[in-house]
Amino acid sequence: MDNATMRRGRWLWAAALAVYAFLYVPLAIVVAYSFNDSRLNAEWVGFTWHWYEVLLHDEAMLTAAGNSLLIALVSSLVSTALGTMAGIAMHRYKLKLLTFMVLTPVAMPEILLGVSLLLFFIQVLNLTLGMLSIVLAHITFSIGFVAVIVRARLAGMDESIFEAARDLGASPWETFRYITFPLILPGVVAGGLMAFTLSIDDFVITFFTAGVGVSTLPLHIYSMIKIAVTPEVNAVSTLLMLLTLTMIVLAAKFAPDVLKGKT
Amino acid sequence: MGCIGASVFAPFILRQAQDERSKSRQPLPMPFVVSLSNHERLVPLMRGLLLILMLCSGSAHAADVLHLYNWNNYISEETIARFEAQCACRVVQDYYSDNEEMLAKLAAGATGYDLIVPTGNAMESLIRQNALRPLDKGLLPNLKNIDQAYLNTAFDPGNSYSVPYAYTLTLIGYNREKMRELDLPVDSWAVIFEPRHLEKLKGRVTVLDSQRELLAAALKYLGYSANDTDEAHWKQARDLIIRAKPYWAAFNASSYIKELTVGNIWLVHGYSNDIFQADLDAQKAGRKFRIVASIPKEGAVLALDSMVLHKSGPRPDLAHRFIDFMLDGRNSAELTNLIGSGNPNRDALQYIKPEVAHNPAVFPGRKQQARLEMLRDLDRHQRRVLSRIWTEIKLR
Amino acid sequence: MPGCSCVTEPARKLVTAARLTKWVVSGPPFLFLLLFFVIPGIIMVLASFRYPGEFGGLAPLTAADPATLQGVTLETYRFFFSDPIYGQVFVKSIFMALATTLICLTMAYPLALLIARSPKKSRDLMVLLVILPFASNFLIRVYAWMIVLGPQSALSRLVNGLLHGLGMEPVHLLFSPFAVLVAMVYVHLPFMVLPLYTNLEKHDPSLLDAAQDLGASAWQRFWRVTFPLSLPGIFSGSALVFIPVLGMFAVPDILGGTGDMLIGNLIKEQFLGTRDWPFGSTLSIMLTIAVLLIAWLAARLAGRRGSYG
Repeated sequence: MDNATMRRGRWLWAAALAVYAFLYVPLAIVVAYSFNDSRLNAEWVGFTWHWYEVLLHDEAMLTAAGNSLLIALVSSLVSTALGTMAGIAMHRYKLKLLTFMVLTPVAMPEILLGVSLLLFFIQVLNLTLGMLSIVLAHITFSIGFVAVIVRARLAGMDESIFEAARDLGASPWETFRYITFPLILPGVVAGGLMAFTLSIDDFVITFFTAGVGVSTLPLHIYSMIKIAVTPEVNAVSTLLMLLTLTMIVLAAKFAPDVLKGKT
Repeated sequence: MGCIGASVFAPFILRQAQDERSKSRQPLPMPFVVSLSNHERLVPLMRGLLLILMLCSGSAHAADVLHLYNWNNYISEETIARFEAQCACRVVQDYYSDNEEMLAKLAAGATGYDLIVPTGNAMESLIRQNALRPLDKGLLPNLKNIDQAYLNTAFDPGNSYSVPYAYTLTLIGYNREKMRELDLPVDSWAVIFEPRHLEKLKGRVTVLDSQRELLAAALKYLGYSANDTDEAHWKQARDLIIRAKPYWAAFNASSYIKELTVGNIWLVHGYSNDIFQADLDAQKAGRKFRIVASIPKEGAVLALDSMVLHKSGPRPDLAHRFIDFMLDGRNSAELTNLIGSGNPNRDALQYIKPEVAHNPAVFPGRKQQARLEMLRDLDRHQRRVLSRIWTEIKLR
Repeated sequence: MPGCSCVTEPARKLVTAARLTKWVVSGPPFLFLLLFFVIPGIIMVLASFRYPGEFGGLAPLTAADPATLQGVTLETYRFFFSDPIYGQVFVKSIFMALATTLICLTMAYPLALLIARSPKKSRDLMVLLVILPFASNFLIRVYAWMIVLGPQSALSRLVNGLLHGLGMEPVHLLFSPFAVLVAMVYVHLPFMVLPLYTNLEKHDPSLLDAAQDLGASAWQRFWRVTFPLSLPGIFSGSALVFIPVLGMFAVPDILGGTGDMLIGNLIKEQFLGTRDWPFGSTLSIMLTIAVLLIAWLAARLAGRRGSYG
């Protein structure tokens, strides 16, 4: 390695470390302030566990969390089924229209899907906004992600397997059941989990399709930030981050393959 | 996965990965996005776990539930708790911080509310929409407690639909010590709108993030009625606001309470009860300053908020009980003592703490009352024009 | 192959089955998206040609009372074009999106390059570290900046201390265009890093060696080899940052000051404030057109550059 390369290496490292710091310092501060003994949470006052206690007794927060979970479960199940079909159809039949319909919702600013669904639910279906409207909206934007992941999985496969199955007299269903499905299963699972995550995290589309009676965790966090921020927001953030971290560590320990992407 | 950006990036990455694959004809590596989603797949599991944990900590659900759609910070938890104990039911609240927001949510199909607490103009709109349930006054023996002056308003003649709950003023709130130190007048909207005063306050002022309220304050300062709908006057008000805007820190509808308490903000255009709250918080936190409100001499907006029954509410019986409960002098007084809202209930006055009762920003004197105005509803054309003016204000 | 036209007699049954399969597989997602994506889109276009209802929603198409507004109109479009202010909101949003994209690119490039050139073993971890902040909710990541930029924060004190030393006016970091920009960058940065990394990782190191053997300096190697080859990554990363920023309303809503209104905020206000759905629909359609135009432009640009690279 010549000097210039080494110098550039150092420069790269410095820049990269700065970016990592930019990514992590704000979150670290959020975590630290969750232990702040001050309702106003503007400056550091002292250490307390109080906000975690408050969190565990905050019924509105718990209800919102429960709603989020339920919505994510239902919408990810349905969108996984529909998205898998869409992925197969896009791959096998190269349907231009379907591909367009699947990918566009994913590529547009979310607010557009949110307001058009709001209009549709109220003006056409005359539906009361609530759980159902949120679930339908979440399915709509999740299908694309599942489909794309499933299609990617299929794209990597040798078409001759399917031909061989057909030549041996397998019906389309049998081909799907015994050949295609087992092969794309990791993609389906990954897509489903992606849909679950997207649903549980979605703010914008939920914001427009939720009405006011049903709150989800992101909506609840938003109203807390807008109206009365207390360190409880930090506490809930910290718990969410902590769980994520634990799971990743556990996964790295017990199923390192998963982390390396060898599905 | 972050919600906003996440919804766009997977297909792009994939498309790119595939394009490059087809270009380079490499043997197929694990597509990047799948390995990405493998990191990702852990996240939801954890979320799920947390949620289950949260759920297990449990919440008992009572069968009788009263759904209340109320202003944020407009009832004390103690009052709610007492009502819940008395009726053996549960009160579920949703909040709004602006009448327009509440009306828009209802227009977007929000339902299931037994009780709403709109301001006069919003109530007028709800009545005209035929969205409210008439009151059964036989169920409201305490209605006699309300001061005649607050009954029979133009918004609901004869009070067929509404019972006054509390009132607030939109006025000037300030950090007393800071304003003394800077030697600024606090009896006029000039301090909010005039650059010569604002120069000393740059970045220390917030105004309400409400089209109607801010416009009303500007109109009042210009000497017009708060309900003036002359577009030329609106434009004058707009120019006044745009001139003052560079000195303001933010348009803010609720968190200014905290900012006043912490001492970041010294002067606000805000609601009387919020300013009262800020002062209580500041004292509790041992700050060395007081937060005080004053009614500008040009006049201000009085918002009489009333309890109304929404047609979509399944429990008008509980709603009537709640209204009568709130009409009880003691409960009504608690509201005033705790949140500093004006009180239209004669029976409540005896229970109100003297320092609150003598606070002119909570109970304005007769002379000041004459300068107060209630806002009327705007029609759709006026709303659209006001929205455009608001856009100009925000953009320039 | 399905769809193959060279049908022999024994295969006919199979072909019928294949056709049936095609409908069974593509039908349900097609119908669902037709109902919940295409039709709502059409409804939105139609809504933009209506009058707003007196209390929100849309005015009726026909009403018994001729005095009430009814029917179809170009009013919202006239209103949109009658005042340059709305065009200015779009221009402002595009500038915000552009600035966010450029800053993301500047920050992401060195990081992506470093990851791509690190030993294979550590790459997964380094990528994971970029994604990990995404394990927290979007709103929490925005909220984090409320604390970091707040007047009591260490950063604010440091900045204002320096400014004071230089004899300058103190500044407010929170509730400002600066706060909006920082949070926009923060929230979207990984979307720039990931496609860039995917691209850079695939570069053949022998190209750089060859360039070096031919006497190219480090800078020349970067500008003549690495950078042109990474253009597809830059373009997809930019699209991933640019488009969502264009429609964003939550960040200005939470961190913005007195002048931070973007298209997203304007659209949100029409639906959840002013109760003017037709005008909100018009604005949404304009945003759609803007996104499509920009995507088309980027695709053309990427196409031309791609052939050069």
